[in-house]
Parts: sequence; structure tokens; C-alpha cells
Amino acid sequence: MSRPPRAPRSVMAVASVAVAFLALPLVGLLQRAPWTGLGRLLGERDVLDALRVSLTVSVVAAVVVLLLGTPLAWALARADLNLGRLPVRRLVRTLVLLPMVLPPVVGGTALLFALGRRGLVGLWLERWFNLTLPFTTTGAVVAASFVALPFYVVTVEGALHTMGDDHEQMAATLGAGPVAVLRRVTLPRLLPAMGAGLALAWARALGEFGATITFAGNLPGRTRTLPLATFQALESDPQAALALSLLLLAVSLAVLVPTRDRWLPTR
Amino acid sequence: MRPGLVLILAAATTGMVVWLTAISAEDGRTPLRVFTASSLVDAVGDLAGRWTIETGIPVEVVPGGSNHLAAQVRDGAPADAFLSADAGLLEDLDDLGHLDGATRRDLAGNYLVVARHADGPARQPSDLHDLSVVLVACAPEVPCGATTVDRFGDLPIDSLEPSARATVARLLLDEADLGVVYATDVVAHPDLVPAWSQEPACPCVTYAAAALSPEGRAFVDFATADDARAILVAHGFTVGEPGGNTP
Repeated sequence: MSRPPRAPRSVMAVASVAVAFLALPLVGLLQRAPWTGLGRLLGERDVLDALRVSLTVSVVAAVVVLLLGTPLAWALARADLNLGRLPVRRLVRTLVLLPMVLPPVVGGTALLFALGRRGLVGLWLERWFNLTLPFTTTGAVVAASFVALPFYVVTVEGALHTMGDDHEQMAATLGAGPVAVLRRVTLPRLLPAMGAGLALAWARALGEFGATITFAGNLPGRTRTLPLATFQALESDPQAALALSLLLLAVSLAVLVPTRDRWLPTR
Repeated sequence: MRPGLVLILAAATTGMVVWLTAISAEDGRTPLRVFTASSLVDAVGDLAGRWTIETGIPVEVVPGGSNHLAAQVRDGAPADAFLSADAGLLEDLDDLGHLDGATRRDLAGNYLVVARHADGPARQPSDLHDLSVVLVACAPEVPCGATTVDRFGDLPIDSLEPSARATVARLLLDEADLGVVYATDVVAHPDLVPAWSQEPACPCVTYAAAALSPEGRAFVDFATADDARAILVAHGFTVGEPGGNTP
């Protein structure tokens, strides 16, 4: 085994500052946390309501992301997408990445003008199906799915590129049809990446704030998720806000456990 | 990304910041920073304009939920004056020694109105409790929401908004059928109308003002003098009603 190169002191010094910068807010949160009253604060009706809404919304959003995102990631990685000279693949990929870099409140505003009561599509949803999304749990799922989808698609598409299509080609040569190749060869090998992408997307959905409050509003038991409850609690009860922040921190750390092999290699 | 492109982007961003700084600096004087309840913003903008003409001192109006602003003051935010939608918040800040208690006084009053979009269908008072009607109001954590609870009790609200402004936006975008807003919001937005004929009634909101610095003292005096009252009344606020300064 070769010895790692000696690190210049200046580089290590700046790196330490970066570590402190990342750690400091967490330390701040932990030292102000109301440890003794934590059980009581987290057992409040409002908190339990928000936890229920958050879990429902983020899990359903994760399912939506899985169902919509897997075919999209596969199409981006494998399908012949370009129509003549039109770079469809690059355009779709840009569209996929956009919610990742877009401020969520802009995403929520855009959703409102597309799916709101007077929105482009929302108008017809209401007229034909009597379906309105704003101020409903379904609306919160839509907002969470919109911001979470890119994280899943990017992860899974990357994995499809990394693993290559040799096995798929071989299976096809041996007479397997396209659906059989997908089901018997591609998907089984893709499962770890799908899990990692899903964990990331789920965490993003759980933490979603801007698009949710803009598009779905804020009502306890229906659309008030944990981040919204944290924001609201800061107005009136900072102790409760701290307790909620701790809860979200614990959940976020828990997400890193199933994905540790991917993002936390042992060396 | 190519290093050249990064340099160009960095240069463009820097140029933009310099330009934005240049156009925002009206003159060399330090502006007076006035923390303002978001429902007062339009009126305070007019007040500040008049004040700048009279004194030459620019004003930076910082709008926000009164509770948020009070929390910022407690944490040492550099405000010169605070115009709050909740007089109790100023009392608390006074007790903690954050403001000049001698300057604390009532500024104006505001009533709640159930409003709808002007293009929407006619409504009646019973719609307020109709579950099929989409109703929005302020969250009880902010003054407009606390007053809504005091005045109307338990309502089948579909979304608790973080500020009076956010509630108004739901109505303007026609995402809600009815909204509990301030009377001044209906004055400010031609697209909003009272959902039915309503007499001014309390519980209602009393705004209070206080200075946090010697510079802010003159502004509070100005904001509670007769000229300023005319501006507040023009925006739909009530001032100096019989029985005190509050509605």
C-alpha cells in the first residue's frame, strides 16, 4: 500500500474551516435543544399531525417518483431519443435537472399556474373531474414529487451508464425480448441504484418547503408537513421549532444509512 | 465547465452587483431602517416618501410578520423604528429593554373583512361555514390570524397563510373563494370586494409604533402626527376614533 501524499498545511487549514462551517449550525442546534422537554414537545398533537402528513406525502411522492422516474431514467440512458437534428435527450435532461436548481418557491408558483384552479391544466381538472389540487394532501404530493423526481432520475440514469449495456446486448443475442431484458437483466442489476436514488428523493420530498407552502398551502392535518410546522412554530414557540428541527435532523441522518455504501465509502 | 466561462460568469455577476448597488444608493446618507408589519407596508411607503421629502433622510422599509420582526429585534437586528400589528409585542420588547419606551404609542387600527375576488360569484354569510367553499385566513401565530380566531372562532379554513399579504394573494389568484383579510387590503386591491356587506366590528387590530434608536424617535413622532394620519386614513386605516386612538 502506498503512503498518501503529504498534504500542504494551507490546504488542510482551509479544509478545517470548511468542516467547521458545516458542523457549526448542527452544534448550534444541538446546544439549544430542549432535551428534557423533547418527549413532551414531540408528543404534541400538532407535531404528530405534521409527522403523519409528512410521512404520507413523502412516501406517496417516493412511489410516484419510482413509477415515473424509472422509465424516464431508462429512456434517457438507453432509448434512441433524437428526432433528426433535434437534441431531444439534452432537452429532456435539462428539464429533469431544472427542478433541482430552481428555487422551490418558483416551482410552487409554476405549479399553481399549471395545476391551480385557474391554471393551464387545473382549470380543466376542475371542470371535468371536479378535482382541485391546491390546499389538498394530493397537492402536497404533487409539489414534493416535482422537486424530488430529478434526484432519482439522475441517480438511476448515472447507474445505467456506469453498468453499460453488455449484459443486455448478450441477453438479446440469446433471444430475450426487450421486455424480458428489462425485467430479467436490467432491473435486477439496477436495484441498488434505485434504492439509493429513492432514499435521496424521499429525503428531498420530506424536507420540501417552498413549493409545498406556495402550491398546497398550510393546514394542520392536511398539508402542514414537518418543515411547514417548523416554520410556523418559529413564530410562536421556538422550543417546538427546535424539537421539530431535531426530528428532521434525525430522519435525514437515517437516510444516509441505507445509502452509505454509495456516498460514504469506508476509505 | 471551462475556466474561461467561469471567469466570464464571475465577472458578469460582479458587474451586476456593482450596478445594483449603484442604483440602490440614493445618496450618501444612512437610511433610517423601519421594521413594518406587512399589512402596513403600502401606507408606510407613502409615509416614508413624505418623510424623505421633508427631512432628506432616506428610509428603508423592512416588511414582515410582526412576530418575525419582533424576534429579529430581540436578536439584535439594527432597526430604528418598529411599527407592529400587535401592540403586545412592543410591550414585551419594552420590558426586555429593546426599545425607547417613551416613544411607544398606538398608530392606527384595522378591521377584518371577509373578501372575495371581484369576478367571483356572490356570497352570503353562511358560506363562511360551508365546507365546499375554499376559505383562507392568516395562521393564528400572526396578528391577523389571532384576530381572526378572536372574531370568528372556529372556521373551516383550507389554508393558514403566513401573512395577510399571502392570504390576499390566494384571493387575487382566485385559488380561494373567501378570505379573511384586512379592510385596508380591500381598499388597496380593486380586484377584491367584501364578500357581503359588513359593518366594521371588533375584535380588530391595533398597530403600535416605537423607536429603537434616537434617529427613530423623530420618525415615530412624524408617523403619529396629523399629516401622517391623513395618509393612513387614505389607505383605509382608522385613527383617532372616539374612545381613543383605536377602532
